[in-house]
Amino acid sequence: MRKTATNSIKLVLITSVLASCAPPNDKENAESKQRVFMRADSTAAYTEVTGNYTQGHSGGGMGSALLWFMAFRHLGGGFGYANNSLHPQSVAGTNAAKAAAYQAQRGGFGRNAASTTRSSYGS
Amino acid sequence: MQVKKVRIDPQWQSRLESIGYGYHTLDGIPYWIDDYYYEIRNRDADLIYKATNELWQMCLDAVEYIIKNKQYQHFHIPPFIIPHLERSWHNDDPSIYGRFDFSYDAINGKLKMLEFNADTPTSLFETGIVQWYWKNHYFPELTDQFNSIHEQLIKSWTELKPYLRGAILHFSCAKETLEDLTNVEYLRDTALQAGIDTKLIYINDIGWTGSSFVDLEGEPILSIFKLYPWEWMAQEEFAVHIINDPNEAQWIEPSWKMLLSNKAILSILWELFPNHPHLLPAYFDEPAHLKHFVKKPILSREGANIEMYYDKQMIYHTEGEYGEEGYVYQELANLHREDTGFSIIGSWVIGQEACGISFRESDMPITTDKSRFIPHIIRH
Repeated sequence: MRKTATNSIKLVLITSVLASCAPPNDKENAESKQRVFMRADSTAAYTEVTGNYTQGHSGGGMGSALLWFMAFRHLGGGFGYANNSLHPQSVAGTNAAKAAAYQAQRGGFGRNAASTTRSSYGS
Repeated sequence: MQVKKVRIDPQWQSRLESIGYGYHTLDGIPYWIDDYYYEIRNRDADLIYKATNELWQMCLDAVEYIIKNKQYQHFHIPPFIIPHLERSWHNDDPSIYGRFDFSYDAINGKLKMLEFNADTPTSLFETGIVQWYWKNHYFPELTDQFNSIHEQLIKSWTELKPYLRGAILHFSCAKETLEDLTNVEYLRDTALQAGIDTKLIYINDIGWTGSSFVDLEGEPILSIFKLYPWEWMAQEEFAVHIINDPNEAQWIEPSWKMLLSNKAILSILWELFPNHPHLLPAYFDEPAHLKHFVKKPILSREGANIEMYYDKQMIYHTEGEYGEEGYVYQELANLHREDTGFSIIGSWVIGQEACGISFRESDMPITTDKSRFIPHIIRH
């Protein structure tokens, strides 16, 4: 029987979870008002981000911070998951894989979670 | 087994946050308890360890029995997903973890299984990491803890690695829940330490191309851990793609876990192992001979829609949205009670072996998502 943990537990990821969910500070808010040009693929053209990623979120708690976390990922899909702040020309460029990802249907899982507000969907 | 107090660390919240634990307080009420704890003896830990391993084997036997005899009628699993469930069992698709919930009468040594959280158990991070750091803060010497969860996770991922279908193991949970994200990121952390390449994708962002599940970069998903209930996935739009997926993506936990996370398993176990010392009598219909019992929806979470009866009179109940699929009736167990509340023990099985416990405490004898997490030590 192995009951006891060692004294040398190492975590490589987990502390970044909390950090990514910390409320944005004033400095970040100030920066978010600056003009920002982004692309989601190195073969795509840069376009100006037209919205503020921390706004327009209807969820509670850490929502805004998570949106920042997601803002720098590719949010493809014709199912309401593309971030409107990023121009479609800047999503995929000539990268076929990313173009396919953009065209993939999304949102087919998660409906039950979206219809309830709980701190966890585990048990 | 008893509750004991410590002088609270005034910096307890920042101490927890420094290790990445952000949901210690829910709606202004502490979920994590820092200033008292359970002290147990070695023999308590030995009993829980042995019982957990035995019950895990019994659960596997029960799954084999249900599939072999097609005893699905009480589980209310959508018929279209059953071939996938059977295939996942016959393929021995990997399972990483589960958590049994026990009532424990330490004086009489009676340890009874209340249920098995086999599909989406949470509180893994606080059990494996936070309470271990708690012990080292308050009791750096002369104590132990029933907790080898971290090492067992890394060991289990290492053993599973050759059987993963994809070069990348994706990890997924719903958006907007720090608790689930922390649990998933902790699991991903241990998989990384086992040498597995991983990616995080929220469940809503999983894509379907017509021939493959894909992540946000278009990479096919061939092996994926999901902290999202199977009974929900089976209701949702992409469920049909799970069974027709040409890649036959591995979903962890596998779909055969739908049989064990369903409370119908409590009655099946009692049928297969009558009078087993770690089982409570459980039935699909209300039995006349049970005076004190609990009525549980076969699909409910976090103590929702539970009704507790004493002398056939309902004495407690919880609200919720479950119950339409049916109920099981389980004999009422005696929960351990202290001045601080009623407690149950969560016992983790990871990679086929029991490896750690947690205590959850409530003001009433039903454990819910508001129940407090109490750390523990083993005093030598």
